[in-house]
Amino acid sequence: MTRRQFYTGVISLAVAGVIFILPFVFVLLTAVKTKQDAALLTFSWPVEWHFLDNLTEVLRTRNYMLLLAYFNSTVITVCSVTLLVLFGAMVGYVLQRRPSGWNKVIYAFVLAGLMIPPAVVPTIWILQSVGLFKTLTGMVFIQVAYGLAFSVLLFRSFIATIPRDLDEAAIIDGAKPWQIFFRVILPLLKPVTVTVIVVQSISIFNDFTNPLYYLPGRENVTVQLTLYNFQGQFQTQFNLLFMNILLVTIPPLIVFVFFNRQIVAGMTAGAVKG
Amino acid sequence: MIVQKSPYPYWFVMPAAVVFSVLFLAPTLASLWFSLTRWDLFSAQFIGLENYRQFLREPFLIQGLINTVIYAFATSATKSVFGLLLAVLLTSGIWAQGFLRAVIFFPVLVSTIGVGITFSVLMHPTNGVINVALSAIGIPGPGWLTDPALALYSIILVDFWKGLGLATLIYIAGLASISPDYYEAARIDGATRTQMFFRVTVPLVRPATVTVVTLSLIGGLRSFDLIWAMTRGGPGFSSDVLASVIYKQYQAGFYGLSTAGNVILFLLIGLIILPMTAWFNRKEVDL
Amino acid sequence: MAKVVLENIRKSFGSLDVIKGIDLAVEDGEFCVFVGPSGCGKSTLLRMISGLETSSDGRMLIGDRDVTHAEPSQRGIAMVFQSYALYPHLTVRDNIGFGLSLAGRPKAEIAAKVEKTAETLQLTHLLDRKPKALSGGQRQRVAIGRAIIRDPKVFLFDEPLSNLDAALRSQMRMELTDLHARLGATMIYVTHDQVEAMTMADKIVVLNAGRVEQVGSPMELYNRPASPFVAGFIGSPKMNLYEGAIAAAEGCTTYGIRPEHLSMSTSEGKWKGTIRHIERLGADTVLYLDQPDLMSIVVRVPGDAELALRQEIFVTPVPGKEHRF
Repeated sequence: MTRRQFYTGVISLAVAGVIFILPFVFVLLTAVKTKQDAALLTFSWPVEWHFLDNLTEVLRTRNYMLLLAYFNSTVITVCSVTLLVLFGAMVGYVLQRRPSGWNKVIYAFVLAGLMIPPAVVPTIWILQSVGLFKTLTGMVFIQVAYGLAFSVLLFRSFIATIPRDLDEAAIIDGAKPWQIFFRVILPLLKPVTVTVIVVQSISIFNDFTNPLYYLPGRENVTVQLTLYNFQGQFQTQFNLLFMNILLVTIPPLIVFVFFNRQIVAGMTAGAVKG
Repeated sequence: MIVQKSPYPYWFVMPAAVVFSVLFLAPTLASLWFSLTRWDLFSAQFIGLENYRQFLREPFLIQGLINTVIYAFATSATKSVFGLLLAVLLTSGIWAQGFLRAVIFFPVLVSTIGVGITFSVLMHPTNGVINVALSAIGIPGPGWLTDPALALYSIILVDFWKGLGLATLIYIAGLASISPDYYEAARIDGATRTQMFFRVTVPLVRPATVTVVTLSLIGGLRSFDLIWAMTRGGPGFSSDVLASVIYKQYQAGFYGLSTAGNVILFLLIGLIILPMTAWFNRKEVDL
Repeated sequence: MAKVVLENIRKSFGSLDVIKGIDLAVEDGEFCVFVGPSGCGKSTLLRMISGLETSSDGRMLIGDRDVTHAEPSQRGIAMVFQSYALYPHLTVRDNIGFGLSLAGRPKAEIAAKVEKTAETLQLTHLLDRKPKALSGGQRQRVAIGRAIIRDPKVFLFDEPLSNLDAALRSQMRMELTDLHARLGATMIYVTHDQVEAMTMADKIVVLNAGRVEQVGSPMELYNRPASPFVAGFIGSPKMNLYEGAIAAAEGCTTYGIRPEHLSMSTSEGKWKGTIRHIERLGADTVLYLDQPDLMSIVVRVPGDAELALRQEIFVTPVPGKEHRF
């Protein structure tokens, strides 16, 4: 490393520190302040550290709403990501392995899924008519419908790297179609599956708009909705509001620390190929 | 002709197809009809293009349309320009390069609502950290989110802050796919650093540019969370975009009008993205 | 053990005919090699026998049973792929036992059969490794093991040696020949390499553009090629083939003479030529001559022949070794 590279690095880190790290430090500091201290909105060391007090108070708010929200968000995320992996891999597999006139249609739908904003009110109307409006099940299927396109694309391009000889060897070994998929292909999809899980989990966990529309009602609250609700309620209790932001930021941070590589792989998929 | 059963049966596609059709395709198609009605979820009364006419008559709805376009192009342009510059910086072997990449990328993963709330506090006109810091060096800070002329641009700035990491990351992947041979050849031909950037990097990183521009345009046109968390479209309607208008009309019970907004947003995305993709693909052939 | 019979087998992809009507019988216990240039349809034909490709027309029998419409797993065949197609996520043990496991056989039975197969192929010490940790030759053997354990009537090999280096390839040629002798099974082997065909086959089927050009034992094909195509394909260096005036003078449309069937002399002979290029192979030396009438002749002479570039020499065909088509 040259001196120039070293100093450029130091300066860049200083600038990035102010722009990208300080806002998070501000969240952390405000979250542990007292109510009066936090209300000043200043970037300052807390007069008193109230980490545990604020934590328990946030959790207790509105009859442990935040815990319920974490539960709901977890259920939605786990269920929809499971289905997204399974469905995405199955569609990507057939799409890649079986060229036919249908493929163009499926591709058109995939692109539409990536591009078109969901038609909200008609969706509510359909959810209502099948009895899934305001239900976690309905929310899970919504997330699956909206996340499919991305999953299919990732799986399809990964499956293209698995030699077809393997399928044929399995056919000769007497495998049925579902056995080829579940016993030969699916185990080989591990790297891309991890990527899909990580990227989709984060986006579903962070999703605000869709629960806002499709999951109204107290008992269905999700983590992002609590932030939105508390924003109104805690106008004067910034310490609690920021404690909530802190809590919502921690899951992605943990995922980021452990799965940085998979996130990068997923987010940049297609960037090189175009 | 003998038909053999394919080892890749179409029923593999069925579960996904059912969910996608019922919850995405069907509502999208239905929206075309319901946008032509006065609708309360139970009965729909056909009123022709009245909803669309109203959209183009009401100044605040037009404002939303214009804001959407400004928002999408401003975020897309800034992210692609600064994303590329940052990517070049972060692949040049500087000190703490990996850590810097992580720092810039992390906001992408954080809750948009959380970011929105945090910045609306930081941007508080009198007590906010940003304006306190500015006044400390003698600059009177503006009312970032309270000045109607400025609110939309303040949100754009935060969107840029949150999304820059993704653009940078995509550009880094794009840069990694350029063979170092080109740079060595250019050096032998006597190219300066600036020449190399404009004549080698920019043209060869095109696929990444296409991805960044397309993704951020689509994202920008559909943007809702951040705006809703920071201003709820205010002050007045000054930072309303189509997505927030759709939500407001929905809340107010104007389901037909809300759905018309959806169709307009859908058409707007198509009108911008499809010609652009076609243009990008055509230029690709010349390369 | 079984005989394989193809009757008027055809295959077309849309309007493109890839296999244009093939009649062939592979006898029980025979080692039969399909050979031909790339694109001649040899791999397609093998895949049709395996059932991975359907036939557009015709009938196919394996051991007197009509298998034209049978599923691959119901045909009593096993196949070794060019890439070996070992399942990367399974150990050698599970790779070999995969077919039995799919069939839902008891674990103990699978384990016993896998052990036995591994022993025959000297794979016992590798059973718990993944394919990634094996050498090319070992992977090859695992692929064969996966075929053997199915106890097939017919083994199918699709260019199985093309991913190996030269030394390993000749070793595997011997191992496969041994295996054939030991199992006595019918084997059908596809290759583009005429050396593999000559060294291993009981019967060679030369394919060209979707048709059978000639069927015969290696030496039959070498001594009595039925067409200029076969003549040019079997034997290395290639047979010298001439058309036009020279062929007419010999009373045929194509005249051929193998490089090793030309005798050389410095004083007299049928044709006089100038040495343009010399390839020293050690035991043999291959000469490329410029000759005014024939344009170019390739001659194979003993390795120790003392010759120089631009030297003029005479060559004469060995009587009875000329080919006229």
